[in-house]
Amino acid sequence: MNARFGLASGLMVAFSLLSGIARAEPLAPHQPYAQASLGVRVSKVSDAGYDPFASSDELTQVSLGLGGTLLRYQRFSLAAIGFWDYGAKSSTARGSATELDVHRLTIGPEARYHLLPPLYFFVHALPAFAHTSASLEDGVAGVTRYARHWSYGVDAAAGAAFEVYAARSGAVRPRIWAIAEGGYGYLGSTSLEMQPDAGEGPQRPAPVDLGTLSLSGPYLRVSAAVGF
Amino acid sequence: MNKLAWLMWGALALGCGGRPSSWDTPYAAGSGQSGHAAAHGLSGSVAVLDTSLKRVTMLSSPSTLELTSHSIGLGTDLVATQVSADRNTLFALSRGVQPQRTPNDERPQLLLIDGGTTPQVSKTYTLTEPMEQLVLDPQNEWAVVYGGSGVVVNLNELVLVNLHESGTDALSFKTLLSFGGNPRRFTFTAPLAIPGGEPRRFLIVERDSDLVLIDLAAPEREAVTVPLPSTDSGGTASSAQVVYDADSASIAVRVTGTTSVFMLQLAAPATAGQDFSVVTNLVDVGGQSTAIDFVHNSQGLRLVALVGGSAVLVDPDTATTQSVQMPAAFSGIRRITSELNSGAMPTADGDVALLYGPSITKIAYFNLSGAPGALFRSIEAYDIGVPVKNVIDVPGERYFDHKILETPNQQFYVLDLRTRESAPMKTNGGLTLEVAPDGERVWAYNPGQPGFASVDFENLHPVSLIAERQVSNVFDIETADGQRTAVALHLAGSAGIGATVLDAFSPSTAYARFYSGLELGGVQ
Repeated sequence: MNARFGLASGLMVAFSLLSGIARAEPLAPHQPYAQASLGVRVSKVSDAGYDPFASSDELTQVSLGLGGTLLRYQRFSLAAIGFWDYGAKSSTARGSATELDVHRLTIGPEARYHLLPPLYFFVHALPAFAHTSASLEDGVAGVTRYARHWSYGVDAAAGAAFEVYAARSGAVRPRIWAIAEGGYGYLGSTSLEMQPDAGEGPQRPAPVDLGTLSLSGPYLRVSAAVGF
Repeated sequence: MNKLAWLMWGALALGCGGRPSSWDTPYAAGSGQSGHAAAHGLSGSVAVLDTSLKRVTMLSSPSTLELTSHSIGLGTDLVATQVSADRNTLFALSRGVQPQRTPNDERPQLLLIDGGTTPQVSKTYTLTEPMEQLVLDPQNEWAVVYGGSGVVVNLNELVLVNLHESGTDALSFKTLLSFGGNPRRFTFTAPLAIPGGEPRRFLIVERDSDLVLIDLAAPEREAVTVPLPSTDSGGTASSAQVVYDADSASIAVRVTGTTSVFMLQLAAPATAGQDFSVVTNLVDVGGQSTAIDFVHNSQGLRLVALVGGSAVLVDPDTATTQSVQMPAAFSGIRRITSELNSGAMPTADGDVALLYGPSITKIAYFNLSGAPGALFRSIEAYDIGVPVKNVIDVPGERYFDHKILETPNQQFYVLDLRTRESAPMKTNGGLTLEVAPDGERVWAYNPGQPGFASVDFENLHPVSLIAERQVSNVFDIETADGQRTAVALHLAGSAGIGATVLDAFSPSTAYARFYSGLELGGVQ
């Protein structure tokens, strides 16, 4: 009980001090007009359709982001952001080599609240478009089979960004942000009926049906961004 | 503090979770050396064993050129698989988890899978001890499991499984009295007409130096053990062949190392408490026989023993013998009377037997009908130029009067018993024959080669086919819509399960469909 009281007291003192700093420093330079980020997204995919392509449930993707602030109102701002996430997994399915390439494009609005000039929290719900290319080395047919599909969904996440560096002089003053977010990415299921490319392999091959694949699941993204 | 722990757990959960270990277990095609073949053809499906996942992948055909797969779990430590004579059921014997450590450990079991167009488990018999040998009754009424590998094994303990029963009621445990011999071969008889009783089926167990008769109508009764005669030199003889005649309840045994044939007559009970009695006789046929069988001629039942270049006919009642000179030293005999006596043909007054041998190039029709007093009517011999190692029956109602003569060479013969015409078929490789269960055609292939062929019995026209991959087996199965599909399996090492599927009625690789990745279905 005493420990909790002490922690709460400390946080209140820190909040008061930081609020004082916030009042002392103008907010606008910290609400970036444009922002570009590079990071890593890790998703947990628990769908059974993912099993042939990965020995564990995580899907790690490199994440490139772009954003720009559209509206500002005191501590609040509204930005338009977009991400391109790319990742690949490879494994074996009962001895046959498999691979899964995933491109994911998300774009949409993000609401931000600056608790402090160098610290803001955000939430976003971004429509998502994903292209998956699953492949299977078919040892009997002697051919690589593919299932390539688009799927659609939405990424809903919340996170925080902290300004770790700000240039103090110059015409253009870049600022470096460390950003972390967590949320849930939903994507519709796609078929895993694996077919060789036209003209490849035996005549009239029937598809190898591995069921369906859904890449929905919770995710974390950490990135570094440069803003102006 | 609690919130912090929750956040940490959430972060860790992102990286946790794996997949079933089945995905990391490669498929391995069976070699047949482990007591079970890699694949079995059933009436409406093909069973491909996937022992690394303790399952069997059942391939069935909804319609021509279509193939679906469905996996059925088998027991742990599979030791034997066999298909029933009617091809409707796959039997799988497993030892279960050994040694047992918990009450929930899987027990030894005999699993029966319906091999129709919708494969499914039909019955499971749980055994008390792990057994390793499986013998099936051709009439699909009984199965026998025996032979274990425990710390102490009673080699003469049989478990009789009554396939008409379920659960533990189906199991009968039978320990055979032994003088040192172990079971070597089993013969399930048809109902034998024993005087003074209802016809009853027997299981004849051939052991090292004796025979055991188990009355299948009352398996709990004590079995009858009949010692085999000694060899002519006084040594221990063993049985080489057992034949029986159901109408007369006669059994004959070809015994090694002797010129005699051992005859058993099941007769009316001799003492109170008996269901039957056994009368034995030893008949010298003048030489060591290479094959025996019961036949009927105009004088009654006779036992034919092929001895060198002669056929010796034995009267079971009087033990008198008559020798007939043969045009060659035949060593195989097959009665073909029923194949010749269809409704359209008059019933003969004696049997007709087909004689053949793996070391001679002649076959002969041994006609035992004729006027009373005549020993036989005729022996018609044909030189077909190649030896015959096996005679394969053709099922069904249309071409039951055809036989396939399997040779040790790259040839086989389709023999029309009515016209006595033989059609030689030459292949360009080794030979494995698979007669379609509907009896309309035979498939020939050489495992490991892409070529295979179909010969339709209607016109004896061979259709040669070259698959796009090496063929390991060819099976002819019924489709769910009543057609027939030919499944040429491609099983090689750990590559997986593949198949080329054709219309069995008009096979053509121009329309065939190729299936693969069948081992990936149903992985959990």
